Amino acid sequence: MVEYQSILDWINFPDPMSNPYYPFGDAYNLPYDISMKIWEILGGTIAWLLNLIFPNNGISGWLVCDMTANFFALVVFMILMFAVPFIGCLVSLWEERKILGRAMDRRGTMIGMWGFLQCVADGLKTFMKENVQSKAVDKMAFMWTCSLVIGVSVLLAIMVPLSGRWFVVDYGSGLLIIMALYALAPFFILVSGWAQNNKFTLIGGIRAAEMMLAYEIPILIIIATVALEAGTFNINGIVQAQYDTIPYFIPQFVGFITFLFCATAEAERAPFDLAEAESELVEGWQTEYSGMKWGLIMLADYLRGYVSCAMIVIMFFGGWNIPFIGDWNNYMPEFVFLLKAWFVFLLMILIRVGTARVRTDQILNLGWRVFMPLAVANLMIVLMLKVGGII
Amino acid sequence: MANDNYDSSKYPKYPIEGFDTLPPDMHLTPEAIAEGALPENVPRNPAAWTHVHGGRMDTDPMWITMGPQHPFSHGLWTLRVKADGEMVTDAEPIIGYLHRGWEKEVENRTYPKIIPMADRLCYAASMTYTHLYCMTCEKALGLEIPEKTKYIRIVADEINRLQSHLMWLAAVGTDFGNFTGFIWATREREYWMDMNVRLCGARMTTNYPRIGGVRNDTPEIFDRDIIRCCDRFDKALWDIITLFDDNSTFTSRMIGTGILTREQCANLGITGPAMRGTGVDFDVRRDDPYDNYDKIDFDVPVLTAGDSYARYVVRVEEMFQSTRIIRQAMAKIRALGKSAPYRLKAPMNIPAGTTRMRMEDPRGTSYMYLVSDGTDKPYRLKVRSPIFNNVSSSKQLVTGCRIADIPVIMAMIDMCLGETDR
Amino acid sequence: MAMNYLEEYRDGRHRTWKDLWVVRPILVCCRLLLRTTIHRPVTVLYPYEALWNPDNYRGRPALEFNKCLGCGMCVRMCPCTAIILVETPDDEGKPVMRPQINMGRCSFCAYCAEYCPVDAMTVTPIVELAEYTRSDLIYGPRRLAYEHTTEGMKVKFEETLISDYKNGNGEIRHDHFSIDRPELDEKKCISCKKCAKVCPVNAITMVEHGTNAKGRPILWPEVKSDVCVSCSNCIDACPKSALKMKEVL
Repeated sequence: MVEYQSILDWINFPDPMSNPYYPFGDAYNLPYDISMKIWEILGGTIAWLLNLIFPNNGISGWLVCDMTANFFALVVFMILMFAVPFIGCLVSLWEERKILGRAMDRRGTMIGMWGFLQCVADGLKTFMKENVQSKAVDKMAFMWTCSLVIGVSVLLAIMVPLSGRWFVVDYGSGLLIIMALYALAPFFILVSGWAQNNKFTLIGGIRAAEMMLAYEIPILIIIATVALEAGTFNINGIVQAQYDTIPYFIPQFVGFITFLFCATAEAERAPFDLAEAESELVEGWQTEYSGMKWGLIMLADYLRGYVSCAMIVIMFFGGWNIPFIGDWNNYMPEFVFLLKAWFVFLLMILIRVGTARVRTDQILNLGWRVFMPLAVANLMIVLMLKVGGII
Repeated sequence: MANDNYDSSKYPKYPIEGFDTLPPDMHLTPEAIAEGALPENVPRNPAAWTHVHGGRMDTDPMWITMGPQHPFSHGLWTLRVKADGEMVTDAEPIIGYLHRGWEKEVENRTYPKIIPMADRLCYAASMTYTHLYCMTCEKALGLEIPEKTKYIRIVADEINRLQSHLMWLAAVGTDFGNFTGFIWATREREYWMDMNVRLCGARMTTNYPRIGGVRNDTPEIFDRDIIRCCDRFDKALWDIITLFDDNSTFTSRMIGTGILTREQCANLGITGPAMRGTGVDFDVRRDDPYDNYDKIDFDVPVLTAGDSYARYVVRVEEMFQSTRIIRQAMAKIRALGKSAPYRLKAPMNIPAGTTRMRMEDPRGTSYMYLVSDGTDKPYRLKVRSPIFNNVSSSKQLVTGCRIADIPVIMAMIDMCLGETDR
Repeated sequence: MAMNYLEEYRDGRHRTWKDLWVVRPILVCCRLLLRTTIHRPVTVLYPYEALWNPDNYRGRPALEFNKCLGCGMCVRMCPCTAIILVETPDDEGKPVMRPQINMGRCSFCAYCAEYCPVDAMTVTPIVELAEYTRSDLIYGPRRLAYEHTTEGMKVKFEETLISDYKNGNGEIRHDHFSIDRPELDEKKCISCKKCAKVCPVNAITMVEHGTNAKGRPILWPEVKSDVCVSCSNCIDACPKSALKMKEVL
């Protein structure tokens, strides 16, 4: 038993990888490290205070033991893993508002910090709004589909690794897992549109499902092409393969453009926001949601937009690495990744500025007659390059 | 000023032969309409759907009530559509939410007091109805107004036509789900509103024409700014046109949707750009000229396709023609000088009789019918609004289209409920 | 600068409508984005900045108290019946009639300023009129005052007579209120003096024209043409419709 005298004896920063309960195996995980240190400060202070009042009690020792530290570190880890995509998505929201505003010859949001605090104000406002719910809705499905859309989107955003050391899980099939989770939401939207017992939401939900038929297959083909070129589905591996050769948007430029449009459709952003077409369906499948539910659905929308950008960054822009700078890449890879994601979001915003909403039949035509051949052509190009031994 | 001289050789002669919005193979023949066919094999007649659905339809159509508070209805009206999935099989417009009893209200007011009320008929282009009312009264009085007034009224009318068309263009942007077009068109509209302010001190409800003239002469600042505004607008409109026209997401939703034929147009009483989009070459300004429009060199754009895109092209071309008219009329006003009369003293009472007058509103042919009984108040004043007839065509327009097309098609009609319901 | 929209259209500008062709509009948007990022957007930050407006901008009406005659021309012409005449003490404490405007009803048509015979009523550029209660929206004669009245705010009302115009004297413009004068139909007059009582400028004097069968004096109104403002109050007050406005055209 160690004799604890001062507070510094309670707060020591051990190597998290030496913790026997370390959940990430051999890989070093930065957010876990940070949360472990945060818990060391918090738990150590509590334990020291308890020990001052009740000397030699058991709880103080329990608070700083390996198992408890690991548990509370994971709690902090969860909060941290949500906070970073959340902030990233708020920044992209701010970016969209400012750039849309400037491109339309107006100023965009103006509240505090060049308009950034408007996002916070809007979030607080939606939380304070009254929750209006129609009597006729199917309450169970109404609540559950809403929660599942939000939950799946948050899960997705957390699943995206920001760098080789910032991840939740490091699967061999990481890209496929993200894609699978991504494709879940339209089903919930379909059920939600039905459950709300409203004609506009019903059409909106059906449109969401109809639209999924159009873009899902080109997306999967392009993902397969990227995996083919990199030789792995692991995100870390794809990023490393691009660092070793060249960013994939150069050999797969056709695939990049196609994926940009498909990912915009996947995130249900304009011009592919058919499911919430506000000019004919009042707010599409979100018509009956109000207050906090609606605010969280909007947050989920932007989280999905953020994930779309992150996937493009991972697959085509070399992830968190910058070519030709060598070891400098080790300093702030997470920040580089976020910057790249915001840049891709800028492209999406520019598409939104200059286009009108497409129709359901048009997006089906587009998906099957334009995006699908382009995706296959991209696959052919990569195959030829691969067979020719160029990459 | 550099732009004082108007040069007609700069402008082409319309109609230009040999072009149209629809490719030749997509033109509608009466036989094709009878069969229920539309371009791209979209069946118009639900009975003709049998070959699409394999002979039978299992789905239940549902009635969707769009409006009166719905983003697509610019104003208060309802469109009930019968939808089978995404396809519209039937539609029914319902109006009357904005009925204010205008025609009854004016019977209790003296003739000058009706002018501000005529402003409120259509808030987007207020001066046109006021102008029409004043012309009706002048015709009843047998009053020949001064030359300068006629040109001032032409300028004011065209400013209001531009305002109305720009408001329509802005609404088209939002109906397509594009906010950029909305903001750009609204920005351009602001400059013409400023012209209104310089001319008469108010932005929208101008109260400018008077029986026997106009409220005031053109101020110096208006003479200075109006040509600058025209020059600026001619350039700035090209940006908006590039956004809407070079953009296949816009054009692919306009071309071939909401088709009207000349026959339908005549039967439904449709006037204005919607009529000229179907190939009827008629414009009151040219064919039954009022207020010196016959002394002004301008062209009437006519297209024969009859789809949404033809209406769009007609309206945009009318905007260019409006600046052309303003330039000429301002040159005439300058030549007449400041000492020319602009307002005649009109008698208080209008002699008993009936008078009718029509003019080219931004949305079509508007018409007023005045029954006067020799007192200073009208016995009856009937307004014929072009939009009242145009909205009644919504069944023919949207049947056979998709739900997503309804806002686009109805935006091309340019609804204004203030004058429809009166 | 030939505006040749349809012709350019014919020259194949729109042939690509079937393709997904969105590049050019996006480039136009980017151009504006660049311009507004370097310069300022056209929008005006309203509560902190304001647009310039000319003098004749039609905000709320204003009244110059001492210039006003109390003739009620504004009340007569107001299409919204927003104006009524109220009794107010003037600077010496004598009760006079002055207009009071309900801004909740006002439609800002500026008829009151246009028809005011002495330009006491003017337009102002004030448009920020929001109040907490409806009674706050009622502007009494003193509250209607506005300090910075310029010449442009006084809406002039000058007309050309039809006869002048037909004779080619179009440049002569008459003040509307110096032309029309009330005319008496002597047979109908009952000498009740009501017209003289309601006249705001005391332009009517009752002149004796002999006596009637009962021996009472016959009084007929006589209008002083240089003082009269043709407000029609005497015509409205006449119980036997003996007075009529004689229009000079």
